[in-house]
Amino acid sequence: MDLVIRNGNIIDGSGLPSYLGDIAINDGRIVKVGNVADTGTTEIDAQGKVVSPGFIDPHTHFDAQLLWDGAAKPAIEHGVTTIVPGNCSLSLAPLKADHRMKLVGMFNQIEEMPFKAFEEGVVWDWESFEEFITRIKKDLTINVAPLVGHSVLRLWVMGNESMHRTATEQETQAMQALLKECLDAGAIGLSTSFVDMDETLQPVPSRYADAAELDALCAVLGQHNRILQVVHEFYDNDITVARIDQLADISRKHKITTTLSPLFVNNDNFAGVDQAIARVVEQNEAGARVWPQVQTRPIDISFTFSVPSLLFIRLRTWYAVMRFGTPETIMAAFSDEEQRKQLVAEASNMMGLWQRLILRQVKTEANQQYVGKNLAEIAELRGTDALNVMIDLSLEEDLDAHFLSADMGHNNDDKVGSLLRHPHVMIGASDGGAHILSFSTYGDTGYLFSRFVRENHSMSIEEAVKKITSDTADIWAIPQRGLLKSGYVADVTIFDADLIDRGPEYYVQDVPGDGHRYVRDSAGVETVIIGGAVAYTQQGGYTDERRGEIVGGRA
Amino acid sequence: MNTVRKSIFPSAQDTWESIAARELSSSSTEEGIANLQSWNLHVFARPPAPAESPRAGNPILPSDILFIEPPLV
Repeated sequence: MDLVIRNGNIIDGSGLPSYLGDIAINDGRIVKVGNVADTGTTEIDAQGKVVSPGFIDPHTHFDAQLLWDGAAKPAIEHGVTTIVPGNCSLSLAPLKADHRMKLVGMFNQIEEMPFKAFEEGVVWDWESFEEFITRIKKDLTINVAPLVGHSVLRLWVMGNESMHRTATEQETQAMQALLKECLDAGAIGLSTSFVDMDETLQPVPSRYADAAELDALCAVLGQHNRILQVVHEFYDNDITVARIDQLADISRKHKITTTLSPLFVNNDNFAGVDQAIARVVEQNEAGARVWPQVQTRPIDISFTFSVPSLLFIRLRTWYAVMRFGTPETIMAAFSDEEQRKQLVAEASNMMGLWQRLILRQVKTEANQQYVGKNLAEIAELRGTDALNVMIDLSLEEDLDAHFLSADMGHNNDDKVGSLLRHPHVMIGASDGGAHILSFSTYGDTGYLFSRFVRENHSMSIEEAVKKITSDTADIWAIPQRGLLKSGYVADVTIFDADLIDRGPEYYVQDVPGDGHRYVRDSAGVETVIIGGAVAYTQQGGYTDERRGEIVGGRA
Repeated sequence: MNTVRKSIFPSAQDTWESIAARELSSSSTEEGIANLQSWNLHVFARPPAPAESPRAGNPILPSDILFIEPPLV
């Protein structure tokens, strides 16, 4: 035996109660679960720890990061062994050389991936999906189940016209052929977006597709038994219900699984999410397969004025200043009396939000005294209002003042907990690897156990494990993963049920091009095994093992 | 199935006017347009396509969902 895990509290991913036992692994596969008499070349004592299948994260944007970090750090240390990148109509392939900068712009706008990260972290040596897969496979620690993006298919076939109009019949057929090629090369499905904007604040190409084009592409998914992911108008309940109906029709017609993300709990309107879930249940009972994704963490957004923030997307003047400005022009706008007046006027009816913002980080010694206080408190100390304090501090810090808007929603634990446990809900929507300058998208798995298993008792630990392992594998048709079962691929997470959690959010400079991002460390995850090899231990960190695979789904 | 708010997918060339004429034919075009816009603020409030676009001035996208009745009580 290559590896034997002994005396663990085995939670096998099926939802059945845990039991004490051993797991034997050989040639990357689980060969026995129960009492193992054979000795392993490597032995791990898991006494007092949970041994579970590796977690699967079904909504990520690690596409770019995989080009310089095949472990998608820090996903693995949170127990995640398989990720799904390419969501929301955006993948990095197929991509003609002429369109690279367009896609970089979209990733920058939608996922906040800095331009410099692409400049310094990416060698552009692929065009086709197959070439991209070959490229990332060279150094893969984590398993990857990649979606292909609808916007990218349109860009390849229609060029710049993809950003202006519907496709002709011929172009639709070309997209169908291209999608088939991507699925054959390992794509697990197709993603599309009904909401995203590009770097010029115009709709992304997928939004110019009519229902017939999407239907034609889903016919190809049906032939391959692959999934459709959409990001929908999650801020509007009636549209969400209408999208659920649209996905249900597509699902029944083409016999495919569909998933929409994210579905949030609006604290002012619980009835909204109840109505959406009721519609999902109704449609699924009528033969559809529609899976809303719900994230575990509440919504927190951090920002500086040096990059465009989601928080300002509905404040057109502010967002335009941030989106199209340089640090110098943003500082100039804040300093100019007239422009400042205009900005303050536009945002003054949201004073409650600005007052609650917390100053989380500054670089000057003079302003350290304010760190940790909210802007209402700082405003009182300075004799002004919160909005002007936000501008003043940003000027004093050369835009390097970091503000946190905490608990913006999706934070009613009882409601979120009941949703996470719901049999028609998939736990997901982490957005791992995206929005790196707004919040940490890592640690949702630990938070599931700490908040919704240990503290709130929303579900048992066995249910929680099932939700993020075998349920996800079943929905996405990921073969031979998600269970601790003889013959299955040995993706295993060993954790302390009393300690597993997400650590505090912090700002770190580890993105190519001297870029920063918000991350969280894990707590209580002791060992992560991918493809039968130890990929991470709490004691020793990441190993040199590279057993990650492309997981393309089963036909 | 429970009743949900009625909606349509616009065709590629649809405008407020063409949808009002087709879907709300019992109202005047002006009234139909005004109703459509008030029921679909997510589209109405969107900046229209830029002048150089073939859809110049039209905020409706082919992938949109448009409601053709007010919110259900």
